[in-house]
Amino acid sequence: MSDTQMAGAPPVQATLYLRAEGITKVYSDGTVALKAADLELHTHEIVGLLGENGAGKTTLTKILSGLLPPTQGFVTSPQGPIRFTSPREALDFGIGMVHQHFALVGPFTAAENVALSHERPFSGIRLAQTIKQLEELMEESGLRVPLNVPIEKLAVGEQQRVEILKVLTRDVDLLILDEPTSVLTPLEVDELFALLRRLRDKGTSIILITHKLKEVQTITDRVVVLRHGEMVGDVKTADTTTEQLAQLMVGQALDPETGAVELSDKELPQTSTSAPVDRSGAPILRVANLTSRGNTGEIDVDDVSLEIFGGEIFGVAGVEGNGQTELVESLTGLRVPISGEATINGKNILGISPRQIYRLGVAHIPEDRWQLGLVLPFTLAENAILGIHQWEHFKGPLAFLRWNRINAHVRELMDRFEIRAAGPSAPAKSLSGGNQQKLIVGRELAKDPAIIVASQPTRGLDIGSALYIRQTLTEMRDKGRAILLVSADLDEVLALSDRIAIMYEGKFMRVCEPEKLDREQIGLLMGGVSQEQEVAA
Amino acid sequence: MSAEKKTLESRLLRGAHKTLTGLSPAIESILAAIVGLLIGAILMYIWGYDPWRAYIALFKGAYGGGYEWASSLARATPLILTAMTFSICLRSGMFNIGAEGQLMIGATASILVAYMALPTPLGQIVGLILAGTAGALWSLVPAALRLMRGVSEVISTIMFNWIGRWFVLWLTIFILRDPARAEKTVSIPVAARFPVMVRGTDLSYSIFVSIAFALVLYFILWHTTVGYEVRAAGLNPTAARYGGIRNKRTMFLSFILGGIAAGLAGATITMGLPPTYAIFGGALMPQLTNVGFDGMAVAMVGRNHPIGIIFAAVFFGGLNAGGRVMQFYGSNPVPLEIVRVVMGAIVLAMAIPELIRIIPAVKKQGTELFGLFKRLRKKNAPKEEEA
Repeated sequence: MSDTQMAGAPPVQATLYLRAEGITKVYSDGTVALKAADLELHTHEIVGLLGENGAGKTTLTKILSGLLPPTQGFVTSPQGPIRFTSPREALDFGIGMVHQHFALVGPFTAAENVALSHERPFSGIRLAQTIKQLEELMEESGLRVPLNVPIEKLAVGEQQRVEILKVLTRDVDLLILDEPTSVLTPLEVDELFALLRRLRDKGTSIILITHKLKEVQTITDRVVVLRHGEMVGDVKTADTTTEQLAQLMVGQALDPETGAVELSDKELPQTSTSAPVDRSGAPILRVANLTSRGNTGEIDVDDVSLEIFGGEIFGVAGVEGNGQTELVESLTGLRVPISGEATINGKNILGISPRQIYRLGVAHIPEDRWQLGLVLPFTLAENAILGIHQWEHFKGPLAFLRWNRINAHVRELMDRFEIRAAGPSAPAKSLSGGNQQKLIVGRELAKDPAIIVASQPTRGLDIGSALYIRQTLTEMRDKGRAILLVSADLDEVLALSDRIAIMYEGKFMRVCEPEKLDREQIGLLMGGVSQEQEVAA
Repeated sequence: MSAEKKTLESRLLRGAHKTLTGLSPAIESILAAIVGLLIGAILMYIWGYDPWRAYIALFKGAYGGGYEWASSLARATPLILTAMTFSICLRSGMFNIGAEGQLMIGATASILVAYMALPTPLGQIVGLILAGTAGALWSLVPAALRLMRGVSEVISTIMFNWIGRWFVLWLTIFILRDPARAEKTVSIPVAARFPVMVRGTDLSYSIFVSIAFALVLYFILWHTTVGYEVRAAGLNPTAARYGGIRNKRTMFLSFILGGIAAGLAGATITMGLPPTYAIFGGALMPQLTNVGFDGMAVAMVGRNHPIGIIFAAVFFGGLNAGGRVMQFYGSNPVPLEIVRVVMGAIVLAMAIPELIRIIPAVKKQGTELFGLFKRLRKKNAPKEEEA
């Protein structure tokens, strides 16, 4: 690991700016987000922070920018140790972060937003002064935005520029950008990168959080790779290849001596398929050319086609935010796609309500169990009938609910799915995450579905619960159900699926049996590098 | 040392927090009532009244005997219904501030019975149906505006209170007026009135309308699929949609039920509150004014639960009835307004557990501000901070 010079950058007097040592972060719920991470940052340098979801990228940068205190470890600068208790202190020191979600006031203009960020208690807003400062800064950086137009009328790329300007007006020495390109058009990305290079040449240290391998190659001088909270690589971009980075990202260690990638001792988990999938009949779920918009209006599912047969688990892998959520929502009636077809056993499911889709035999284990899967203040019993409360079995005359039957049903679920709770009348929010998820799984399987759409079914769960839910899914597969499994956990998708699709920016990069791809190829596909491009390069 | 002190302090805070937030809703409401009465006592003391004697008068006047109980219950009758209007809409996730207007429209509709000359059970039934329907129709406009055009129901229901109020006043004075007395509407005929339950008091059998409606609502909310959908949609609309619940339908339904309740409340006043059995336009309809708004306070103290609302309404009805005694109580005549102060203080005290809940956040803001001042002071001093 070299930490003095970087190749690719112009030969300048790079000096140490910041050193983070042994940073460990344990969240209050026990999640270990970072394990003894070490990071050195220099002036005149762009560092790419690469990793899958939950690898700890954001946690690390939040600690550096004062949003989170580290559990262990410390940060030092050449002037001495530093410890921030708020982002404002970090900004005063010279560390600024541009978040993925902008913190801008829609009806205010760019100038007003920047002035607002400078406001201190009782300091008042100095608009004229801010505008003058912004104009100088825009001249200097070549970063142009209209100052007197309300933010909500600006394009997303312009809004991001306002966020960057907001940080630059504070004279930052370290600029942290969290996935800045995910909302930008290719042209805007080029402009952003040009700006970052100019800033670097003036001496700013820059951290770029990303999961796109191509960007890492294009812009960074050094790459730091995180996996499951551990720092698995710290290499000069010029000394590495996209393949090596992909392997690092998805789980193979780097030889610290040679810089070569070692084969991990962890074997690829084998699928537990008992019998080959019979694809001679008609598929249960058939999706053709599905295109859907996300919440902000851009195309998030782009011309996706797939078929799932009975007795098959179809896994969708990919870095989160590449359209998986929108795909699931489109297929479960929560989002209306703009074009395409989708049928279950030959019946259309697009544009109809969740209630009608459920009647066609779809069970949905949602990605967000607190917002979507459960009504948290409701009891276990009330949650156990969400969506099936209209069943004749639970209903008496005059729409009366038969609570004795419902409670019996819940006790059965608690037995079968090992849900540990005080009883059917315990509030759902009192349950642990694992038990909540088992409750959802139990409820959805009680629908006796033809197809199960499982989105991040084991996220945030303890190992026991996760294992149990995976077993349940394979059992359902063996019973001839079709399963669409969407997960950011690559190991899970590989272990369970009969076929996998790798999704990147709304498209399926590749659909095939998991055995046909090695981790390097998967990592490349997840990072948006397709086979053809590789050949061309 | 300071760390020890800090943990002790935070433990105490957490303990107090747990005690106050872990209370059952009923005890929270009772505590709020006590706090409200204490605030009233302090104010009376400041103004030179004897709070002890005033409260004795108040409670004797509210619950001191059969007559007093009857009087309190009579005042609770419409409050139970208007509280239900607010709480069922809140359960479905909407703020229906329109009980006041819906009640007035319902009361006016029930006056139509006077033109029909119906025999005894039929007169009451038709009157209730007319009032309930009118109240529901009046609430449908804000509901439709919300569901079809996204107009905030808070604004539109308040607007409709005023439209309703002046519309009813116009009807009272120009259309439904008594030919003999210009300031009031025609009276409900004896055959269509709810008979007085206790002779000499103003408690009539109309209280059973309120209690029956509360019980029906309780069963709807907790024992039918309809109520299940309303509560699910109110607590988590996203999950409800995922569960196949049509949120717009549940909102519409709750507004209709709320409108019926407010309309019925109007009917219990015109058909069941002696001695007038009519709407007086004179002093801007005193019997009908504020019953809808007081219902919101009752709903809060009753924790939006139909059964809790019955008890809360009896308490508020008692405050109203007892307050009238208190202001005439011999050497210590406390003005009736102090009772309204107590009511307001109780509603504010309902928020205490919530306030305790936000103390950590407030504290954090405070320390941040303090830290900023400290930094500003040593701004010119060289940077040296401890790790």
